[in-house]
Amino acid sequence: MLTLREKKIRRLAIGFIVPALLFFLLLNAFPLVQVLWDSFQFKNLLNNALSGFSGLSNYAEVVKNEYFGTALKNTVVWTVLSVAGEYALGIVSAIALNQQIKGRTFFRGIIIIPWVVPIVIAGMTWTWMLTPDYGILNLWMVKLGILDEPYYWLGELNTALLTVVFVNIWRSFPFFTISLLAALQSVSKDILEAAAIDGAGVRRRFWHIVLPQLKTVSLTMIFIHIIWTAINFDFIWVMTEGGPLHSSETLPIMIYRYAMQEYNFGNASALASMMLGFMISGFILYYYFSVRKNRG
Amino acid sequence: MLMSRRKQRFFKLLTYAVLLGFSVYCLLPFLWMFVTSIKPTDQIRTLNPSFWVDKPTWKHFDNVLNGSAFLTFFKNSLFVALATTVASLIISIFAGYALSRYVRFKGVKLFSVAMLLSQMIPGVLLLIPLYLVMKNLSLINTYASLILAYTTFTVPLCTFMMKSFFDTIAYEMEESAEIDGCSRIGIIFRILLPVSLPSLVATSLFAFLNAWNEFMFGFVFINDEAHRTLTPGISLFKGLYQTDWGSMMAASVLSVLPIVIIFVFLQRFLIEGMTAGSVKG
Repeated sequence: MLTLREKKIRRLAIGFIVPALLFFLLLNAFPLVQVLWDSFQFKNLLNNALSGFSGLSNYAEVVKNEYFGTALKNTVVWTVLSVAGEYALGIVSAIALNQQIKGRTFFRGIIIIPWVVPIVIAGMTWTWMLTPDYGILNLWMVKLGILDEPYYWLGELNTALLTVVFVNIWRSFPFFTISLLAALQSVSKDILEAAAIDGAGVRRRFWHIVLPQLKTVSLTMIFIHIIWTAINFDFIWVMTEGGPLHSSETLPIMIYRYAMQEYNFGNASALASMMLGFMISGFILYYYFSVRKNRG
Repeated sequence: MLMSRRKQRFFKLLTYAVLLGFSVYCLLPFLWMFVTSIKPTDQIRTLNPSFWVDKPTWKHFDNVLNGSAFLTFFKNSLFVALATTVASLIISIFAGYALSRYVRFKGVKLFSVAMLLSQMIPGVLLLIPLYLVMKNLSLINTYASLILAYTTFTVPLCTFMMKSFFDTIAYEMEESAEIDGCSRIGIIFRILLPVSLPSLVATSLFAFLNAWNEFMFGFVFINDEAHRTLTPGISLFKGLYQTDWGSMMAASVLSVLPIVIIFVFLQRFLIEGMTAGSVKG
């Protein structure tokens, strides 16, 4: 039994969480259920002839869409390359920032700047630098002899997606830098010194002492970023709108097209539910993996 | 440390080279953005672009400020972002306090799981139902739709940030205040918040940045010029100005400026918040 005082405190605690809970229930949980529900309904604002329960037909339509395969493949390419690049740049910059040198805070400040600007601005500025006519990067590359003539990076089928990946890495790697730097700073100096005295060289110390200690942070960061990147809408939309000819279209862009251009909310919900399914399986996999790791 | 002198010097040089390389990589777009925004058009459209600006001009800025709805967008963004910041801060102070002090209750524990999960639910998947909710409440084309959506997506992270800050404050302080007859809300506002001012700054920065930078909801929920926020506004400039890159870069400079100013002054807090959110969360 709770004492009277405990009961009073519990009432207070519940009062404290109610506002946040309301937001969660009304604008997170309810919409989530709605998406799952709609994915089994005929719901098309342009075509009201069909309504009601649709079984799996929304899912079937989405999967049979001629661009579904491309979008799925693009999403995987986009996510894997982005996160790999972000991690690589993140760890190199974090290690450099962890050295005892002058001007560390200054460099750290500069390196975070890309992360604080809006994606739209980042996308637009890079688009301008990459334009075939008068874009500075194209002109430089021609001058250096890398290219024979300016190339339309965002407008060609085989480079559009990769170019957006490049810009995404530029914008997102600072987050890795900061988190990895914090983890590096917590690596014990004593262990490093002890290893050095035992004759472990710089490289060995790095591979065998520093890296293992970064494992947890790295895994968490990579996991979070895989989700964030896979569901990112802004970057691709701002830079290519999924084009040319769907060559840079990912699943979130496809959801947007279904919903806001074709007004086919049923199909859009089915696709969203599928993505949610992917995410949840990833989450379970990750959880299983990390729990087993911790136990072993 | 623990290396021969020569090796040490080599590593130091290498470090500087790497950091310099990163700095150029990170700053180049901003530099070029600024240079483009003050160049006369004939120097923008040239095959020999340079960082040196001959006869700088404010024409593009004038064009953006007086010839477009930029200022309206800017004001809208500022209002929406500030309102979001205040709303999520107030909500997450209380929620964070409950998470920090009252996890012994089952309801609170459940709530913490809900917050954790909701952090994982991406906005784009909820786009359609949220759009319909806003439509049914006839909130489309209002600031309220954006403030509600942004608050929903910032509250979880802010709550966890506030929780971890409250965790570091000893409970004894509260107890003595309680004995002196201070109410719980009084304790939060008179004792805890003054102590955790840096954390409050970090949390509000996060909320503000999130709201200021958000694009998708602003793009979908708002269709009229009078309520449009900056990020969708600027993306629409692209269609409006065609290839007038000078004006577009001027608009970019103007919208990056407030963030950079905030950033320069509050960098320390921002980093603190980033690491608190990622390493512990």
